[in-house]
Amino acid sequence: MYSKKTMKSALESMMFMWGEALSVKDAADVLETSKAEVRELFAELKTEYDMQGRGIRIREVDDAFGFVTHIENDMFIKKLCTPVRVKRLSQAALEVLAIVAYRQPVSRGEIDSIRGIKSERVLDGLMDKGLIEAVGRSEGVGRPIIYGTTREFLAKFGFTTLDELPEIEEFENTSRSGSPELHEQLALDFDGEELSVDKNTADNTMNEETDNEN
Amino acid sequence: MYKVRIDRFEGPFDLLVYLLENAKMNIYDIKVSEITEQYIDYLKEMENLDIEVGSEFIVLAAVLIKLKSHMLLPRVNEAGETIIEEDPRTELANRLAEYVRIKRAAEILSERYEYYSAVHTKPAEDMSEYLDSPDEILKVDEAQMVAAFRQFLNRKQRVDAVTERYSRPRRKRETIEERIRRMQRSLEIKFKDSSEVMFSELLPEKPDRMDVTISFMSLLAMIKNQEIDAEQEASFGEIILRRTNVQ
Repeated sequence: MYSKKTMKSALESMMFMWGEALSVKDAADVLETSKAEVRELFAELKTEYDMQGRGIRIREVDDAFGFVTHIENDMFIKKLCTPVRVKRLSQAALEVLAIVAYRQPVSRGEIDSIRGIKSERVLDGLMDKGLIEAVGRSEGVGRPIIYGTTREFLAKFGFTTLDELPEIEEFENTSRSGSPELHEQLALDFDGEELSVDKNTADNTMNEETDNEN
Repeated sequence: MYKVRIDRFEGPFDLLVYLLENAKMNIYDIKVSEITEQYIDYLKEMENLDIEVGSEFIVLAAVLIKLKSHMLLPRVNEAGETIIEEDPRTELANRLAEYVRIKRAAEILSERYEYYSAVHTKPAEDMSEYLDSPDEILKVDEAQMVAAFRQFLNRKQRVDAVTERYSRPRRKRETIEERIRRMQRSLEIKFKDSSEVMFSELLPEKPDRMDVTISFMSLLAMIKNQEIDAEQEASFGEIILRRTNVQ
């Protein structure tokens, strides 16, 4: 058993060596302690860096911790080494990514159906970028491949876990019965027909519909 | 103008949602007849502009038309009784609502992506030099091997894509030899009228930098071959050409 101070110091060194985010599990294995304790130590370190206003910060992604630059130092970094400009994601890519993020695990068919257009190429592009990956096969007909987002996705979009995906407010469901046009249109149609539809039936139809909806 | 607008649509739903928003129509209360007309007009417009209308767009047009006819006719069974059923528009409305939600999610993601692009990380370190036995590097499983090879292919593909995009096809340029021959011909004609010819008269019409350079190099070659005498009064000034005195 190592002292807390030693373990925190060790975590810092390990993160430095590792480069990318170091998983809590790997760190716990090295320190021969519980994941819960490592998680706590990482969190403490993270707070310390934040409090001290360091230029290096610790970011948690998917139960792994790693060094990142402070977001406000972007301009200096860009001046120093002009990193390759991050290509913006196309509208199509963002749509597919949103579907995968919110509906995962999801098959290509479901994605196509939500967008009303084929998404195969976009899907491949997102896989190449490492933002999504195949996570298995669906039990459904044809056992299609199903996709989910990657840790890279969480990191690039600033999420710690998938639970942090912001909720999308429901589209306001204004009642159909509130539309006078529909009533008129239906009434006209009924009147125009030679069918013996009495007013009551028509009204019932409307009421039924309204009820169904409520 | 139009092209920009049309290219922007990411599929039939995107277009339909745009039209609905434009007409200030609620997704759950689509005036099918009106919107179908607009939708089809739009597809026609695309065709007029020689933009290929994807089959997905046609499929939705068919859905709309079917819906329109469905709305016009009361549903009756064989006994002539009206069948009470759900609003036929519900299914489409639900799908559109789902699409709108996804679009919104995409917007949010886009903003986050932009914002967090300012956070920089280091890639995973290459640990091979720290490993005791170099053989360990080869301890990769099949999936890692495939991933590595894919990465290699992708990188190559990316380079190919860049070279393809950026090596602009270039108009074939005249060689200096060709240019000299051309200049000799036009000098021959011009010297009949006057003993002096301006260098600028020998340039092709609307010369670009490359044209001037080639002509100038041709001139230098001609001077060197003592085919012509040249004189320039000031730097960047006009160059005056005369027949060589040797003749």
